[in-house]
Amino acid sequence: MSTALLSDAVDGRAADGQWAVETHGLTKRFGENIAVNDVELLVPRGCAFGYLGPNGAGKTTLIRVLLGLTHADAGAMFLLGHAVPSHRDAALARVGAIVDEPRFHGHLTGRQNLRILAAAREPAAKGRIDPALERVGILHRADDKVSKYSMGMRQRLGVAACLLGDPQLLILDEPMNGLDPGGMLDMRDMIKSLVSEGRTVVLSSHLLDEVERTCDAVAIVDHGKVIRQGAISQLLAGSSFEVQVECADPDRARSLLEGTAFGAHVQVGPDGLAISLPENTERDAIAEINRLLVEGGISVYRLQHIQASLEQWFLSVTSRLGDPE
Amino acid sequence: MTISDLGVPAPSPAPTPFPAHVRKDHRGSWIPTWGMVTTRFMELRKRRGLMIALIAVNIGIPVVFLAVRLISHAVDPKSYGPAGGYSIFTTLVAGVMYIFGFIVAAVVGSTAGSVDLTEGMFRHLVITGRSRLALYMARIPAGLAIVISMVAIGYTIVCAVCVFAAPTQLNYDGVTVPQGLSRPALDNWAAAHADEVICDFGYNGGPGLNGPPPSVPCGNGQTSGPPPGAIIKTPKGTITVPASESPAQIRAFAVAVANQDYADYRTNFTVPSTSLMIDVGLWIALEATIGFVVGLGLASLMGQRTVPVILLIVLELILTPVFSRHIITHLINFERAIVGVAMVHIEPGGLPTPFGGGGPNGGGGGPGGLNLIPESTLVASLVIVGWIVFWTAIGAWRMMTRDA
Repeated sequence: MSTALLSDAVDGRAADGQWAVETHGLTKRFGENIAVNDVELLVPRGCAFGYLGPNGAGKTTLIRVLLGLTHADAGAMFLLGHAVPSHRDAALARVGAIVDEPRFHGHLTGRQNLRILAAAREPAAKGRIDPALERVGILHRADDKVSKYSMGMRQRLGVAACLLGDPQLLILDEPMNGLDPGGMLDMRDMIKSLVSEGRTVVLSSHLLDEVERTCDAVAIVDHGKVIRQGAISQLLAGSSFEVQVECADPDRARSLLEGTAFGAHVQVGPDGLAISLPENTERDAIAEINRLLVEGGISVYRLQHIQASLEQWFLSVTSRLGDPE
Repeated sequence: MTISDLGVPAPSPAPTPFPAHVRKDHRGSWIPTWGMVTTRFMELRKRRGLMIALIAVNIGIPVVFLAVRLISHAVDPKSYGPAGGYSIFTTLVAGVMYIFGFIVAAVVGSTAGSVDLTEGMFRHLVITGRSRLALYMARIPAGLAIVISMVAIGYTIVCAVCVFAAPTQLNYDGVTVPQGLSRPALDNWAAAHADEVICDFGYNGGPGLNGPPPSVPCGNGQTSGPPPGAIIKTPKGTITVPASESPAQIRAFAVAVANQDYADYRTNFTVPSTSLMIDVGLWIALEATIGFVVGLGLASLMGQRTVPVILLIVLELILTPVFSRHIITHLINFERAIVGVAMVHIEPGGLPTPFGGGGPNGGGGGPGGLNLIPESTLVASLVIVGWIVFWTAIGAWRMMTRDA
């Protein structure tokens, strides 16, 4: 898939050809450990982009490098088209970010903390404090000390801090951490609403289900290296094809199907047959399976195409990492 | 699909022009905005424990000390002297406000230099794109506004009490003397009360006082000096006491005695002069500024508050007193480079040194009690400026290079 295709894959909103985040050969070392390894990352504008990886894969380190919180050892990076770190002031002017657990001055109120951050931004940022607090749903607690906030409220305050700069790009590191199910739903809705306003949201997480529900595109990182990236629908489209069949005489059905040219791998389970077909198998295969079974005199009670989840795909991809090359 | 499947990445897009609001807010400038300074001031001011400590030391200790003296004097004026006066002023200034002002300022500086990091706000601030140097520089006026205002309030209270609650008349060597006289005024008063001065004031030779005192009546049938016609030995030879001395000679002798006693009189029985109070106020403010700047830089360098505070207390209470009074030949330039030693050398005249004994200009302990290492005022000034510049640069450098 070309870069143009990747860009167009996300609703066509990045049609101007510019990337919200762009890195080339980005590398960050801590002694012998390479936390960010020659990363080539392209995040289209105007989408929710998931940055996925197991613990210790280098997700947070990459974000810290992008935001100028720590320096890169090699490579080039651009935020909203501005080179970082040479033009970090212009780049970060329209960027909001949460890195790690959001922490604030506990002896100050939420509003006072935001006043400190707004003062470091442009003058208009001060006027965005109350709208930002209202948007994240903690305006009613804005004058309470942050030391009395729950983890979820601090997470929301962190998002409010991101919104002070009217950002085009939000980078959220594990934003669902500490949120209850309702809070996660609110956060998901908020991210979607931010994207609907034309903003780009980069979401680092290991909660694959949340990412699948929230994001349009993802990149998978492991051992500091980006190993896959693209629109979720296209990534999943390339994964294995599974059909669940409930029928009479499953053992005979398995023999029948394994003898065909599908290349199917069939397992008999308590729910019937689980048929795994090779990648890129067409949907017509489902009808063909049904025809074979019926013509073989086997009654079919249920036949269901199982959509591979991002989690399954993630595990299948990352499980290969441990294999010897 | 891997990244290699994506093909060669597209060339980097031309950066869009800097947004207008970025140009306007000078986000890359090292100069902090007024809003950054005021919000930093707010952040420090809202630290209740720090503020209580600051008020207790800079204001509370002098106020309690003076209040006890005021009450004691009001209840039993014969046993307890007035609350104010020169000696109280110098005691409070050199003994309390100077030393504790430095320590408290160092605590505020260390707090300002470390809390953003330890409380997780540093990365929020860096992400705004604001110059890290500007973030550091905002702390200086904000912290100094707190430290200097506290020092000023405490010092103003001390000055007010020392001036307005000073004794109005004093008994000096058995003579009732008006308080607060300048040297010429004391001379005039001595000329008008020559008999009392000659009879009761102490003196010990010196200009105009090498001969025997004139014989004047001292009450109870006694007179001062040897009787007329007596032959006495002096360092310049044997002389005969004249039968009588003129009133002008008697007044001149009394004035000479008063002149010799003026330093002692001033120490005990005058109010601090306006110029002295201004000089001392600026000196204390400079000491507090140094404490704050060094604390800020050291805490920024170390990324924490506790160790810098301990180090600065050790510097102020142990190293400075030791190195200011014990000359170590091989380390004399190192001793001169200690900021506390330099501060003692620019101490306003008339104060005792903060760590005991007389000041360099002949304060309470007098020059005889002085054993400071030698250092010129120019070198002392350069040392002070050097400390301020060095620690500001170190703190700013660490702020700019630290991982957030």
